Amino acid sequence: MVRLAGAAFACTYAVLIVWLYASQPRNVAEVTGGLAASIGAYRVDAQGFQDGRAFFERDQFEEARAAFARADPAQRDALTQFYIAYSFYRQGWGRVYNDDELFRKGLEAVDRAIALAPGNRLVVDDPGLGMKTADELRAELRRGLTREASDFNPLRVFESRK
Amino acid sequence: MTQTRECVVLPALFLTVALLGGVRVGADLRLHPPPLLALTLGLLLTAALARSGVVNPASLMNDRRTALENVSGLIVLLSLYGASAQVFNLVTPDAGLLHGIFGTFFFVQLLTTFASVRDRRDMLRGLVVLLGSAFVLRFIVLESLYAPEGGSLKRVLTALAQAGTLGTLTYQANAPATGYLAFTALLLYVLGLFLLYDGRGQTPGALVASEGSRHPAIQPSPTN
Repeated sequence: MVRLAGAAFACTYAVLIVWLYASQPRNVAEVTGGLAASIGAYRVDAQGFQDGRAFFERDQFEEARAAFARADPAQRDALTQFYIAYSFYRQGWGRVYNDDELFRKGLEAVDRAIALAPGNRLVVDDPGLGMKTADELRAELRRGLTREASDFNPLRVFESRK
Repeated sequence: MTQTRECVVLPALFLTVALLGGVRVGADLRLHPPPLLALTLGLLLTAALARSGVVNPASLMNDRRTALENVSGLIVLLSLYGASAQVFNLVTPDAGLLHGIFGTFFFVQLLTTFASVRDRRDMLRGLVVLLGSAFVLRFIVLESLYAPEGGSLKRVLTALAQAGTLGTLTYQANAPATGYLAFTALLLYVLGLFLLYDGRGQTPGALVASEGSRHPAIQPSPTN
């Protein structure tokens, strides 16, 4: 009995260690959130998410990200990560030039969202958004980070934020 | 007790070392997986431990034990290997020229140990000195030298060292918590190595077999 229990304990512990090293959590919240998600028990804080959406719609992006981070501390929810990425896009977008640092963070967040979405496909039915899929947002962020001839097109100032 | 030691205590100790071995606390938490160097050094160390009698694989796994007993023995050996690899991951700088220098030093030292040390007590003594020295070098000397809050003299010294080695001598400093965790991991590892031996010339596997009296225990040649 002791042997069986010991073997089960050791195997579980070893799997946990391998999982931790593979998932690379950066804080305790990500560890607990990841464990909860692996057994389907992870829930996003609805109030935090609603607060984040409200801030997002008022173009208060830093406040929105703080609320989204509270809602999804383990970064395990695709939709929340999508909105975080979108907030980086909108804050970093500029008529003349984009903020590369914010776009880079946005790209990281949208990559997380795509990885978390079932089948890597994420469609958000929000009429306030110009891009309704994570793929569009990712492409837009990547375009923003790429230096190309069209960046110097003066007509670019007439483009609008999505 | 002995069964508990073999099946629960030893795997728990060694797996905890395997977990703590890659923990780096800085601005945020990082888990540094064991590089190929650490895996190789871990294998060498496990072989040296077996050769010197610190662990006796033949008593942990043999055809006189039941399948479940052999599984327990295998778990002890695998967790010992994992912990040995992670101990080197812990005391070796993560990247750069220092990673190579430390790795080469450990490799030569382990080969020497493997070829010459046959006594359990000598092996443990040598290993404690080796790991202790490496810990002091990495977590006291290097960490204080590369600490971000260092004075201007320290900065000049590290800048000169970097310039002299064409930028290859780099080191990423960690928060003090990393050192405390490393110290705990090394203590647990050494404790686990001592617990592999029951003080009567037998490793736990042999003792369990003799206590169960299902089969006569395999007697490893007494080393002390």
